[in-house]
Amino acid sequence: MRIRTIALLLILFGTLAVFSPADAQNAPEASERGKEVYEDSCAHCHGVEGRGDGSAAENLLPRPRDFTRGLYKIRSTEAGQLPTDQDLFDIITEGMPGSSMPEWETALSTDDRWQLVAYIKTFYPGFKENETPPKQITLAGKISYAEQSVEIGKELYVELGCVECHGNVGRGDGTSAPTLEDSWGFQTWPANLTQGWTFRGGYDTEDIFKRFIGGIAGSPMPAFEGDSFLNFGLTAEESKRLIELENRDEMTEAEEEESGKFYEKMDAAVDIALTIQEGGEVSAADIQTYNDAMKIVYEKSWHLANYVKSLMPEKRPEPAIGNNVLRSQYVQGALPAIDDAVWETFEARYFPLVGQVVIEPRQFNPTIDGVHVKSFYNDTEVAFLFIWDDRTHTTDETDENTGKTLEDALAVQFPVKVPQGPTAPKPYFLWGGRLPVYLWHWKASMPEQVTELTAKGINNAEVQEVQGELEVQSDYTDGQYKLWVKRALKTEDKKDLQLEPSVFVPIAFSAWDGSNGDVDTKRTMTSWYTFVLEPVPSSRRFVYPPLIAILSVGLLFGLRAFVQRRNSEEV
Amino acid sequence: MKTYLLASLTLLLACCYVGIVGITFADHHEAGEMEMLVFPEKYKPMAVSNGGTISGVVKFEGDKPEMKVLEITKDPKVCGVTEKYDESLVVGEDNALKNTIVYLIDISQGKDFDKEAKLEIDQKECKFTPHVQIVPVGQRLTMLNNDRVNHNVHIFSKINRPVNKQQTKNQKKLRIAAVKKAEGPVAVECDIHGWMSAWIAYVPHPYFAVTNEKGEFTLEEVPAGTYKLGYWHEACGTNNETPVEVTVEAGGTVTQDFTLKLK
Ligand code: HEC
Ligand code: HEC
Repeated sequence: MRIRTIALLLILFGTLAVFSPADAQNAPEASERGKEVYEDSCAHCHGVEGRGDGSAAENLLPRPRDFTRGLYKIRSTEAGQLPTDQDLFDIITEGMPGSSMPEWETALSTDDRWQLVAYIKTFYPGFKENETPPKQITLAGKISYAEQSVEIGKELYVELGCVECHGNVGRGDGTSAPTLEDSWGFQTWPANLTQGWTFRGGYDTEDIFKRFIGGIAGSPMPAFEGDSFLNFGLTAEESKRLIELENRDEMTEAEEEESGKFYEKMDAAVDIALTIQEGGEVSAADIQTYNDAMKIVYEKSWHLANYVKSLMPEKRPEPAIGNNVLRSQYVQGALPAIDDAVWETFEARYFPLVGQVVIEPRQFNPTIDGVHVKSFYNDTEVAFLFIWDDRTHTTDETDENTGKTLEDALAVQFPVKVPQGPTAPKPYFLWGGRLPVYLWHWKASMPEQVTELTAKGINNAEVQEVQGELEVQSDYTDGQYKLWVKRALKTEDKKDLQLEPSVFVPIAFSAWDGSNGDVDTKRTMTSWYTFVLEPVPSSRRFVYPPLIAILSVGLLFGLRAFVQRRNSEEV
Repeated sequence: MKTYLLASLTLLLACCYVGIVGITFADHHEAGEMEMLVFPEKYKPMAVSNGGTISGVVKFEGDKPEMKVLEITKDPKVCGVTEKYDESLVVGEDNALKNTIVYLIDISQGKDFDKEAKLEIDQKECKFTPHVQIVPVGQRLTMLNNDRVNHNVHIFSKINRPVNKQQTKNQKKLRIAAVKKAEGPVAVECDIHGWMSAWIAYVPHPYFAVTNEKGEFTLEEVPAGTYKLGYWHEACGTNNETPVEVTVEAGGTVTQDFTLKLK
């Protein structure tokens, strides 16, 4: 018995030593075990035969991958190449954020994940036929993040045409975005480069670098390698000179000849690059020429990767709970309008949205990531600024399947009556139930108007007879909505929420992306969060902090109770 | 042992099928199965003297269809100068059917490729010309960009590896690496301008022709013999099931016309 344990331990350590994650590995031979695990854990999405047509596939976008075409998005390899075994192992281990592909690190052992790599490779004969291992992208020579590098990268972003799909500031709202299809004919959206956490393959600078150099196979995203770059094969000085020559109205004969020489040089460099790609013979001198040319391309690519990195926060913002609860700031006098610079001084609170999947029709493939909110109030009014990204400005589109009108929209939800104390029951988060909710409903087709609703359920909302005097401003620029709403703290209408400082008020959101088919219950949502009108700074400030502390503790317990209750409801 | 043999035999057969015939894949351009060209197992170039000619006209059966105008959703100043049409079905005077590939299915030896032939697809006003391009295996295709806008050249190969490369407005020429295996036709698209569409056939021998606006095709320097004559058309499909047999005599000319209808 003991001997067996020791033997097992030895084997374990042995494998650990061999399987150290630092160096890349190859998969074992495909085995029965791989098939077994695959059919248990993967086939309901990817299909028994790997065609991406499992029973759960139909509702999902992006679709679970069809493995029979050998198209893999997240690779460390050059354009057109297959992934390495390590690439496949890593993506299975980590999953693909922004899609329904789960991570398998928790559920499956390392051995099983390697068996899966071997097994999914059998679906595409190209893995076997390829005698030479795929060529990997060199990460040597990384240029570290610096403002100057970001500036150069910004120019490349435009020059190389990333902007066509990813838009001016990277929100995935480029003019080509609405018509993109993947290699299986399904609609697909360019990544929102300001939200790295939604990337399939990670958002370290190295990840970004690999993605655009190698391309994202199966998607419209092209590869940007070698001759996609301006004047490939010329040195920086030569390139500058050529651009200078070409900008002349007229060239002398000598200059014509000079520019001709540059073109010959570029042609020769491309020729070598293609020969290498085709697996042909090249001389040592050719390889030198090629390496020199690629060095410049790789330098530019690091600048570009640094620029893309500069578009996003370091990590996904924390949701607006605990220390990050939304606190409306008190100001004396008029509240700032939508375009007031004062808003910039205030850090937004982040409310992540998820697809509504409780009630039909559901949204399994949400495209809106979250709402960012800021707020100010004065003695009589409160103003909110809601900010969210949406790749398209949709005001009037017809849904092909249902014939319904699709448009972008946002709803802000409050209880009609603020629960007395943190443990008092709140209305059901899906637009209320027995306890009603009070809603502000904004639609892109009526950008200067918010409708007040009272709802007792997601399909049970009524427009309030008395519409309060809400002031509304909105804006859509570069893939981002801004909605500004101002209302009196107190109103005459009994169906409205009444606000006063220091009271924690539940708040929740629903958002609709018309171009993603969102309509009615098919939408993205949050459950309840809270916000508070930060107490007026005054001589009594000694009283407030302890009070807030007590309230916060109470709130935490309340939240816990809420989560527990929801969990038990879900079971 | 026996089962092992059987298994490898099936595998071998499967491989042959993929390699030679070009398996029919569901393509995203068509709801159903996309029909492919059929290639000989082997082809040996040799000098052809006193070869014959096969020529003919391909016509469309039925009323001449209206050409669908494409919606220009982007860069209208460059792409929208003239109206663009869906070229999946171009029917001219007398119902002449353009863009049909007519070819010899089962030729195993004959002339070599014309090495001087220009292998280009032009991108002008956000339209590919020609709509159907024959590219010999082992030779490079050149994409021209005559627009002051960015394009991306997306070639949806399935037997060879697919290609998707950016061709910016600064790159007049973008050369595409040669492929090793015969395949096709495969779709060529520009994702940036979603309406742009063309086809490439990667072929192992030179007996392929594409019909012009009069529906005409000519295959020249065909060694005397009897061959299966095939066709492929984007909207009308293929005659893979029922290829026509033609007999070419030394120095002679055979005429073979086709009338195609929508699949
Ligand atoms: C809930 C559905 C689901 C399950 C279960 C699932 N996948 Fe996926 N998988 C997906 C989706 C969706 C994608 C495509 C994501 C995309 O293209 O952005 C994907 C993509 C992949 C890819 C492609 C990675 C790349 O770089 O392109 C691999 C490999 C993969 N899955 C392996 C597996 C394995 C192995 C399992 C079982 C252990 C599994 N998946 C289980 C949904 C699923
Ligand atoms: C033709 C449109 C198009 C162009 C041009 C384009 N992209 Fe993309 N890009 C996409 C699409 C579509 C996706 C989403 C891919 C997917 O996951 O299916 C994407 C995804 C990405 C991602 C996220 C990768 C991940 O892990 O999810 C990055 C980073 C990126 N692109 C950077 C760039 C850069 C940099 C450029 C220019 C050099 C560029 N793209 C040009 C369409 C494009």
